[in-house]
Amino acid sequence: MMGALDGGASNALWLFVAAFGASALGGVLGMASGIFIVPILAFLFGVDIHAAIAASLVSVIACSCGSAAPLLKERLTNIRLAVVLETATTLGALTGVFLIGIIPTSYLYLLFAAILAVSAQQMLTRRREAAQMTVPDSRSWATVLRLHSTVPDRTGGAATPYSVGSVPLGLSLMYGAGLVSALLGIGSGVLKIPAMDTALRLPIKVSSATSNFMIGVTAAASAGAYFVRGDIDTALAGPVALGSVMGAIAGARLLMGLSGDKLRIFFVIVLVLLAVAMAMSGFGVHLGT
Amino acid sequence: MSEYLTRGTAQERAIAKLLHYGTWLASFIIAAGLALECLHPSIKVFGLSGGGLMKAGVALFIFLPVARVGLMLIQFAQARDTAYTAISALVLMIIGAGFLAGL
Repeated sequence: MMGALDGGASNALWLFVAAFGASALGGVLGMASGIFIVPILAFLFGVDIHAAIAASLVSVIACSCGSAAPLLKERLTNIRLAVVLETATTLGALTGVFLIGIIPTSYLYLLFAAILAVSAQQMLTRRREAAQMTVPDSRSWATVLRLHSTVPDRTGGAATPYSVGSVPLGLSLMYGAGLVSALLGIGSGVLKIPAMDTALRLPIKVSSATSNFMIGVTAAASAGAYFVRGDIDTALAGPVALGSVMGAIAGARLLMGLSGDKLRIFFVIVLVLLAVAMAMSGFGVHLGT
Repeated sequence: MSEYLTRGTAQERAIAKLLHYGTWLASFIIAAGLALECLHPSIKVFGLSGGGLMKAGVALFIFLPVARVGLMLIQFAQARDTAYTAISALVLMIIGAGFLAGL
């Protein structure tokens, strides 16, 4: 069958396979594959970095939407907090849309290298539950906006209440996460989750679910602008988005048996290598061709 | 009570449904486009070639989170929750500004 395919179609199949693989492996560790899509497209497929960023945003949206439903049904997503923070992430994304044409490409590579390094570092340290405030401040933004909620207990016991920390600090960090998302074509979960853990002091499961929920809207704000501008090559974005969604489903279901710790080390190594490769591209050093 | 806890509120269930079926529909359209492109590049479905179907699927994916904010806006408005209706509207306006900036 492969012999009958022309260059474009077989390239599309390879794009699908690469996105599927990255997403399936990422799914085992519960991490988004968005951060791998741009390096894969740039280094393996020789795609221009701007086209890779635009295509990657679509797969980021697809993965966020595809994984949201079960988290919503388990009541782990704080949708009110999400929409409040989305005002900041979308504004950050909008800033990124304006800046991406101005920022030199080498800076994008270097910023990407830095984000990859932060991801590697984050993967090595385990997240800890933030200490909960006992009595929420009655005049805080979180109280006024009715953001305090409860997290359900898996064993069917009573839901545990939690309070939300500093909303203004959370908003400013989310603005930065939205900006980076639009500039690099990633979900910025790597920046959103620490913001939610440290500034908003949410339970880990709530912060992961709420971050995932917001990622789709954040990426849609920039991807929408890139799409109407004609910057999204759908022959690239289509297969990659499809591969990412299918890979995430397969990863969550099939790869449960793999050892998490070994895979974690593997991912740290991959992230560090990609960071080095991105930094070298940023400094104008090119491997091979 | 446990039913409420495991299945979410009506609002959460409606959002989950929108995102779940939206993801499947967009994925299906892209897959159909991809299959058409690989097998019969000359055939058209609803006047769209394989590449055109992929473009429609990608556009649907980008629209999906925006539709989700729109749905939340309606839900908050129905619940007469003025603050959150306004916040949802603000998010939609920022996304809309991005679209306009792209034109």
